[in-house]
Amino acid sequence: MNYPLWDVPVIGGMWVIGGIAIIHVMISHFAIGGGFYLPMAERKALREGRDDWMQVLRKHAKFFMVLTAVFGAVTGVGIWFSIGLANPEGTSTLIHNFVFGWAMEYAFFLAEITAAAVYYYTWGRVSDRLHLMIGWIYAGTAWMSLVIINGILAFMLTPGRAWLEVAGTGDEAARFWSAFFNPTYFPSLALRTLVCISLAGIWAFVTASRIDSYAQPRLKTEVLRWSVKWLIPSFVLLPFCFAWYLAMVPEQQLNLLELGISTIGQGTFTQVTRAALVTVMTSATIAAIAYLFAWRHPLDFNFGHACALLFLAFAATGATEYAREMLRKPYVVGDHMYSNGVRKSDVDRFNRDGYLTRSPWARPAERAGVAAVVTSGSQVEAAHLGRGWLMFRGQCMACHTIDGYRSMRRLLADRDREAIGSILTMLHEYKEDSTYRAYMPPLVGLPEEVDALGDYLATLTPKPGNT
Amino acid sequence: MAQSSSSVSDAPPRGPIYEWLNDRLGLDWFLAFARKKTVPDHAHTFWYYWGGISLFFFVVQLVSGILLLMYYRPGEQAYDSVREITYAIDFGWLIRSAHSWSANLMVLAVFIHMFSVFFMKAYRKPREFGWWSGLVLLGLTMVFGFSGYLLPMDDLAYFATQVGLNIPKSLPGMGPIIEQLVQGGPDVSSVTIQRFFALHVVVLPLVFLGVLAFHLWLVFKHGSALPPSEEVKPEPQRRSIPFFPNFMLKDLAMWLFALNLLTLLAFLYPWPLGPQADPLAAAPEGIHPEWYFMSQFQALKVIGRYVPGMAGELLGIGLFSMGGVLWGLIPFFDTRKAGAARARAITWFGLAVVLGLAALTVMGYWEVWSVAE
Repeated sequence: MNYPLWDVPVIGGMWVIGGIAIIHVMISHFAIGGGFYLPMAERKALREGRDDWMQVLRKHAKFFMVLTAVFGAVTGVGIWFSIGLANPEGTSTLIHNFVFGWAMEYAFFLAEITAAAVYYYTWGRVSDRLHLMIGWIYAGTAWMSLVIINGILAFMLTPGRAWLEVAGTGDEAARFWSAFFNPTYFPSLALRTLVCISLAGIWAFVTASRIDSYAQPRLKTEVLRWSVKWLIPSFVLLPFCFAWYLAMVPEQQLNLLELGISTIGQGTFTQVTRAALVTVMTSATIAAIAYLFAWRHPLDFNFGHACALLFLAFAATGATEYAREMLRKPYVVGDHMYSNGVRKSDVDRFNRDGYLTRSPWARPAERAGVAAVVTSGSQVEAAHLGRGWLMFRGQCMACHTIDGYRSMRRLLADRDREAIGSILTMLHEYKEDSTYRAYMPPLVGLPEEVDALGDYLATLTPKPGNT
Repeated sequence: MAQSSSSVSDAPPRGPIYEWLNDRLGLDWFLAFARKKTVPDHAHTFWYYWGGISLFFFVVQLVSGILLLMYYRPGEQAYDSVREITYAIDFGWLIRSAHSWSANLMVLAVFIHMFSVFFMKAYRKPREFGWWSGLVLLGLTMVFGFSGYLLPMDDLAYFATQVGLNIPKSLPGMGPIIEQLVQGGPDVSSVTIQRFFALHVVVLPLVFLGVLAFHLWLVFKHGSALPPSEEVKPEPQRRSIPFFPNFMLKDLAMWLFALNLLTLLAFLYPWPLGPQADPLAAAPEGIHPEWYFMSQFQALKVIGRYVPGMAGELLGIGLFSMGGVLWGLIPFFDTRKAGAARARAITWFGLAVVLGLAALTVMGYWEVWSVAE
């Protein structure tokens, strides 16, 4: 049993994770792509004997080190801290399966940040060859940390048949490598590597845009054009890698995307599709601006343009990560654990024995209380609504808040108690043809627990007949 | 003036299509003319783009507005037609969202444009008419917003319009005129929608396009103003870039960014449609006008606490009118000859106006949300 500690109003725990994760992805992918950018640019500058390039690169290395080693590291730890609080069951599953993976990732991470610091501080103090070698060590270790963490991230969407066969038996760690090299592992690694490379170019625009167009026109033109080239592999190969990725995504998840595309005209399309469209649009704009300005008119490319491109890259990254997370619906670990932490294998047991006696939101004494039958006066109602509240916390709050993001009060605004009961019944029965099945977990528990949840939800939208 | 070196190397576009058009339309002349026009290049160049961004959102308004016109039915069926656009017609939700979001973004862009002109002292001789025509465009933009807000006729639109019209109606002598001319009766009704519709799609665009043409002609004639920090530099130290293609490309990039922002908002936060307006129902709690009228709305509320009743409203409206007139007369106070001390005082005054408007807007929303809770 895990004990969640978090009850985040308005934005919900999921957006605390989301906010940190999007920033982290922007920086950590730059940490990897930029890791290759720096030694490659340094090698070019050394071969061509360009001191002006070296000066720009040194500035870029400082910016790179501060950004990646400070913000990248802090947000990286922040993600794991926040998921542990917001979804302890899911995090527990990951830890029990991948503790060895994390150990490897931390080893590479330690080597990576050490190399970054050494790379910057030894600039001009060691031989060119040694300095370049440190740069390549950084690049290699940074990419290896992606190689490891990608296995864990991809596992959550597609844990793979081999792992699912032993899921819940206590023998899961024995299938570590099957879970690690899961069906979406390689396409996901290819996609992320391409994103890293393009982000290296986009972040380099920030440094390059600050070169004075009037004082150093040649330098600015060269650095910007060289940086634009870092976007080319992404824009050429991403569509193919994305098609490869989609080919590996389970059918149920693909249906979510297809459902979104078919309902786009009516505006009821899924959030996955919505986010995917944002990715396409912002990426196309990045390509257009990079070509028209950074390539065709580099001297007109300024810091504002670089910041706007970063913003678009941020939007693209955020939308893509959001789409990837949403694609997992209704699961947090594909075909094994639903997004509210209920294991698929536990559904029947919860329906037979009750959910609340195992609610992670109740203390042991409270659990005994919720199981007990209260028979007198106002205590009956209070206890009943209390059970409803615990059901809500346990099964709904992983994705909904009361008044903020995916607000229950707003979603239920037009519904009376009967209508609320109908929705809960649909979610509880979880029939094959139910549209909710595509993105929501089943509602588990005894009929009286479902009833208590309905009565609690009705209190959120006071209407005649809802009390 | 020194010029960006990239501008020198740009060869004019050539090709069979260009040549075909050039033979008939004389494109070379236009290009040569556009290349001759320059735009100053300095640390504050960013603020030059806001006029273009405002124009871009206006173009979006025109295009999306024409598309909405094909399905919108003013009068009794207004709400049903907007519901149809939002839920039944393919991509109607997107067009409506783009129209509503771009309206708000346009107001924001025009405000930023106005304040950037103000702080760069771009209203000084010979640009006084640019300043005045800009203020007229801002006023028209806000009336556009106000008249468009009612057209869906959902409950928020209905009651917010009622609140908005109650203010001028309370003025002595204005009540009957507003009732008869704008509202078309004692209350906001389907007749009011007809009138707002006519105003929104015929009268305002005609007036707006005329004033806009005048405003753009002035910009074209006088060019972009230099901020005082650049004006003091000797001529050879000033930098500029050709309008075509350099500045135009930069402007287009800004439009592209603006389009991205608009699309993000329209995709992720489609403009909602509330329940149909019921004139007999009580107004929803915390009813308030759109954000760009919030500061005035809040100021009237604050004044009303100290000077209740008609006197308070008259005082508030009087102060706004006086403030508006003073704002328009700024070019006469702050001339180049008036000296640095007055220029600084005007800048501080402008900052006080920005902070005052922002504070009143925040205070207004704070009170609205407190009531809603």
